[in-house]
Amino acid sequence: MKKSLILICFNTIFYILFIVFSFIGIPLFSLIVAFQAVFISHRNAMKKFRRAISWYGIVIIKALPYPFVKIIYKDLDKTKTAGPFIFACNHRSASDPFLLACFPYEFVQIVNIWPFKLPVLGFMAKCAGYLSVREMPFESFSKKVTDLLNNGVSIAAFPEGTRSADGSLGQFHSSIFRVALQTGYPVVPVCITGNEKIPARGTLLLRPGTIKIHKLSPITYDEYRGFTPYKLKNMVRQLIADEIEVMEGKGNA
Amino acid sequence: MTEQEIIKLTNQVFEDSFEIKNELLKEEMNIFQDLGLDSLDIVDLVVALQEKFGVKIRNDERIKDIRTIGDVYKFIISLKAESAPPAPYSQK
Repeated sequence: MKKSLILICFNTIFYILFIVFSFIGIPLFSLIVAFQAVFISHRNAMKKFRRAISWYGIVIIKALPYPFVKIIYKDLDKTKTAGPFIFACNHRSASDPFLLACFPYEFVQIVNIWPFKLPVLGFMAKCAGYLSVREMPFESFSKKVTDLLNNGVSIAAFPEGTRSADGSLGQFHSSIFRVALQTGYPVVPVCITGNEKIPARGTLLLRPGTIKIHKLSPITYDEYRGFTPYKLKNMVRQLIADEIEVMEGKGNA
Repeated sequence: MTEQEIIKLTNQVFEDSFEIKNELLKEEMNIFQDLGLDSLDIVDLVVALQEKFGVKIRNDERIKDIRTIGDVYKFIISLKAESAPPAPYSQK
């Protein structure tokens, strides 16, 4: 009974703050960047706008659910490889796109159709140049991603294409790995665990918990040169699967 | 070309184009769920099968119904049968 009450209070407070902050914070951030854009180049304005989105994401994932949800971000990259990067992340929850705000990089997310339909958030995603992979032919997708990478913008994708229904790692789509093979930019596997119920698929109810995000070492072009897209996507998938096992205490650390 | 030869060559396509181990190439394996091919991989598969068997597949509507490796075998077998020259008429 007490637990249910705490859960209801936590969710009520979170969603009230989420709506208020989204409807005030997003227009405010946008106005600040729009004002600065008059004095700086389009490229720098976009950089600032994407940074503003990351700040918005950090508030949503770290500040609003505090102290019920804890985020532990670990960068396991010891190579110091230069970006931009192609991040490939597993996908268990609707909170995943917000969690990527932990990355200290300028990046664009590859998303499904539905995030663009969300009020305010969808508008912001479009303005930031987020790409809806299902709404464009592969050639257009490839060109847009390549242009972003060549301009120093990293790409974050969820190659499973949809949230996992049972927490297991789904099969990967190859689009982003084909672009990697065409462009030669490093591919970075990213593993997210602990957010299966923050919120679970099919509900908006947030449950308390600890979310772990592990960013693994980049796979450089020298390592994947000559691979087929199928081989590259399965290599990345296996690295993510192995790390998830370690993160969930099922494998060897 | 016999059915066994077609199966062997089809398996070679899967091994060469996707580096899928031969042990995984069983008739009942779903090419999407079990092997993890996606729509773009299917395009690669079609191109490789066309080259291997010298047939035209790209615009064939039956591709959309393929789900398992067994479906791929049956599809190629039927294509080869369709493209084979008609048997000479024999008078007894």
